[in-house]
Amino acid sequence: MLAKRARRTAANTVFVGFCTLTTVLALAALVAILWSLVINGVGGLNLDVFLKSTPAPGSEGGLANAIVGSLILCAWAMAGAVVIGVLAGTWLAEYGGNTFYGKVVRFLNDVLLSAPSILIGLFVYEVVVRPTKGFSGYAGVLALALVAAPVVTRTTEDVLRLQARTLRESGAALGTPAWFTIRKILWRAARGGIITGALLAFARISGETAPLLFTSLSNQFFSLDMGQPMANLPMVIFQFALSAYDDWRRLAWVGALLITAAVLVTNIFVRILAREPRRS
Amino acid sequence: MNAAVPPEKFETHIEEAPRDRVKLETKSLDFFYGKSKALHGVELSFVKNAVTALMGPSGCGKSTLLRALNRIYALYPDQKAVGKILLDGQDILAKGVDLGQLRSRIGMVFQQPTPFPMSIYDNVAFGVRLYESLSKADLDARVEESLRRSALWDEVKDKLHSSGLGLSGGQQQRLCVARGVAVRPEVLLLDEPASALDPISTAKLEETIVELKQDITIVIVTHNLQQAARVSDYAALMYLGQVVEFAATERLFDNPKTQRTADYITGRFG
Repeated sequence: MLAKRARRTAANTVFVGFCTLTTVLALAALVAILWSLVINGVGGLNLDVFLKSTPAPGSEGGLANAIVGSLILCAWAMAGAVVIGVLAGTWLAEYGGNTFYGKVVRFLNDVLLSAPSILIGLFVYEVVVRPTKGFSGYAGVLALALVAAPVVTRTTEDVLRLQARTLRESGAALGTPAWFTIRKILWRAARGGIITGALLAFARISGETAPLLFTSLSNQFFSLDMGQPMANLPMVIFQFALSAYDDWRRLAWVGALLITAAVLVTNIFVRILAREPRRS
Repeated sequence: MNAAVPPEKFETHIEEAPRDRVKLETKSLDFFYGKSKALHGVELSFVKNAVTALMGPSGCGKSTLLRALNRIYALYPDQKAVGKILLDGQDILAKGVDLGQLRSRIGMVFQQPTPFPMSIYDNVAFGVRLYESLSKADLDARVEESLRRSALWDEVKDKLHSSGLGLSGGQQQRLCVARGVAVRPEVLLLDEPASALDPISTAKLEETIVELKQDITIVIVTHNLQQAARVSDYAALMYLGQVVEFAATERLFDNPKTQRTADYITGRFG
């Protein structure tokens, strides 16, 4: 009896110890990444980063064109992805999810979800960039939206399916049409989850380089013209980090720091905005 | 309970409800979950402005019967009711019945409280806004009246615009009653409304039910016999998808006519 108990205690200690160790390892990696980002990035932070465009080697400059470009590309891509993803996810959860067509749509969405993003870049290159004979912000937005939409679709479907069956029935029991129940009750009840999905998608595309490689390309100059190649942070980081110039490499670190900070700030900001007072 | 298997035969005793006061009645009502048959030719009348309790052991079909009465089962394509359900003499199972309109006449409260994720006020006003366009003052009055009738007003009058999710379980359930009452239904279906509530909340809910029957016909599913005895005017005992006995509650409890009912109310069966 006692021996059994001792064995269990030992097994428990080993198991908890192992869990703690792996948690520490994972956190250590994260902290190391953030640490090197801050160490290498903060030094290069100054007003010029936000006011001046990417420089030629050896001259003064900043990341203004890439920051603005990234904001525009991500904003449009998210706008498209959220509309398409929320509607598609709602359709899968509430209407067609159990039909043959619904199963096909869900399967294809999952394939798209796990597709290497460089393939999505190539796809957009083939269907948009080549026929229009030019890299453009539009092509970049399309590629990023294709990366983000499956994430939003999947999470929307999942959180809607988590909502209690009785919530739908309560809506129907008042004589509410299904679409109205979905819009006024289910979307509200699932709001937190849907927003989490959108934030995940935003976090994913904000650092994506591969889909932009063949679509938006980059632009050395400040440009708001979506019909032209558009500068963006991931491409600039890619280009500058691999360069031989110290000032370029410093800017690449600053860019990486900015992306991380932007994802963090967006996360906090949106969560505060979306907070539902549970208890009064 | 399979379609191929004929329903079990047993002794039944179904008394005639006062004909001139029948609000809702079922005529040889069968119900199917896919191929499985859950109700066998149920014939039951619900008297206007009275409380009828549906009792019976788990799986006897009492909730199924209740869910047929407002056709809420129609949300699920594999569920089907066959026979007739007459509301003021009109068959609500007939083709072309407007389900939205039907459910505005026959409200429902579920076992688990299901407040909508919005303010207390908006919860109550939700159904009203679907059917009527009232002025702000009229809507305010309707919300207050509904909350008073469900005995919740005094507890929430100072926080009408805070979330309905912040209420206790018992308050949430009375909020759901208020939401149902607000559209002024003729019939209210209650599916074990007190099973998730503590005794004090249950007592409040029961008071509400008794108050509501002044102008609403109420059908309540319960497997709490004391509750059925306390709130109902008529009671039906169901077993294996059939009605075993139906009578005025007092008669059914004091002088059961079938052995099964006698066993059930003395706790020997169920």
